[in-house]
Amino acid sequence: MKILALRGTSLVAFLALWQWAAWVPVSFNFPTPWATLLALVELLRSGALLAATATSLQSLALGFVAAVVIGVPLGLVMGVARGFGRVARVYIDLLIALPTAALIPLVILSFGISIASSAVIVFVFSAPFITMNAYGGVRDTRPRLVEMARTFGASWLQLFGRVVLPSALPMILAGMRLGLSRAFLGLIVAELLLSPFGLGKLIMTSRSMFEHDKMFATVVWTLILSGAALAVLARVEGRMLRWRA
Amino acid sequence: MARLMAAPVGIAMQAVSKNFGAVQALVGIDIEVKAGEFLSLIGPSGCGKTTLLKCIAGLLPVDAGRIVIGSRSVSGPGGREASLVFQDFALLPWATARENAEFGLRLRGVPAAERAEAARRALAKVGLAGSFEQAYPAQLSGGMQQRVGLARALAVNPQVLLMDEPFASIDEQTRRILQDDLLRMWSEERKTVVLVTHSMEEAIYLSDRVVVLSPRPGKVHRVLDVPLPRPREARDVRASGEFARLVDELWQILKRMQ
Repeated sequence: MKILALRGTSLVAFLALWQWAAWVPVSFNFPTPWATLLALVELLRSGALLAATATSLQSLALGFVAAVVIGVPLGLVMGVARGFGRVARVYIDLLIALPTAALIPLVILSFGISIASSAVIVFVFSAPFITMNAYGGVRDTRPRLVEMARTFGASWLQLFGRVVLPSALPMILAGMRLGLSRAFLGLIVAELLLSPFGLGKLIMTSRSMFEHDKMFATVVWTLILSGAALAVLARVEGRMLRWRA
Repeated sequence: MARLMAAPVGIAMQAVSKNFGAVQALVGIDIEVKAGEFLSLIGPSGCGKTTLLKCIAGLLPVDAGRIVIGSRSVSGPGGREASLVFQDFALLPWATARENAEFGLRLRGVPAAERAEAARRALAKVGLAGSFEQAYPAQLSGGMQQRVGLARALAVNPQVLLMDEPFASIDEQTRRILQDDLLRMWSEERKTVVLVTHSMEEAIYLSDRVVVLSPRPGKVHRVLDVPLPRPREARDVRASGEFARLVDELWQILKRMQ
């Protein structure tokens, strides 16, 4: 209850600050919260926003699902095969350290300008984090639990399935949440800089036509989308990790 | 399902040595644990008592000599004769008390209905029947967590219980209750018990014999008989002069070793 009140207050404060910034003005074209809301309603009514969202979500889903499907098993293998893990993690650390946007020209050369290339960028943004978390989760397995299972004669497969994997699950899920927020980042970067589709394109065209309220509305919409997706994932996580009292 | 109480078996440690690199952890350990005996290993830290227990459990290979449980020579972990109870309980945090108690049976491929039944019986034996079965370890006190650990060990119906400082991280009052419960269970089931402890009172109170190990390298220093009458949990053995005398004798042995 108290936290809800605090959150409400902070939202009001944020909107007030925004309103103030529009009045000062930061720029003549800086839209007020109200103007942004109107633009958002207008964009939703015209269908432009939903069409752009559908396009963007395709790239996002494609890239993120691939990042999970490839990233999690890769991290698990790295954690189990320690030698391989030590070598592979260097490349993944590099991928994390690299300003990923710099890869965009390379991706254009390889995949052309398409929804698929946006998906590739989404993948590159999110997969390294997903992999590293799965890797860390396996490595953080308490040796004592492995020892305990061995005293009961556990096979390698049982050790993995009944001890290591459940131990790593919290970190795997946290990695997926981190990966998802990175996926949204990658999506917008790709659509702004690489392939003009979806929400990124809407942001760019609104800007070039000086419809800054629409541009802002699209940004806010993207925030709502990613916030909602993360909240869903957090709920799934809470459900799966009920034992964490 | 009528359960046959497996007859207890003895443990023979013959000239057991164990090294960690250049460090000699155990040298020439000869201990004969009789079937159904309650034996404690005590000694200063670094004397290798936990190492010896892990060797008996097969978790560590010995470098020389051999360990025989019943008629089987220990060659690796997973033997069916012995169960291990851990100081830090080693419970799966994501599994309920009952799932934890079932874990050994599950690994051994026991069908679900049968292992649920065995787990329930084991939990009842350690005083955790009913609603606690569905609790996760994080929701249980340390004493209750160790009861689950004990239930897991008992659920596979071993002939030998190997206990590695099982009550060391549990508060004094709870520890005394657990010690009495352990003695009661032991007298009902007649399992062979090897207990590693650093508590002199605990060693004397529970054991038939106390083996004192000396450190660096770990060797058998003395073996102390504990002729206190049983059942000790029913009488006030701790208050007796004989108990105090034995604890003091053990203390004198350990003190002289420093």
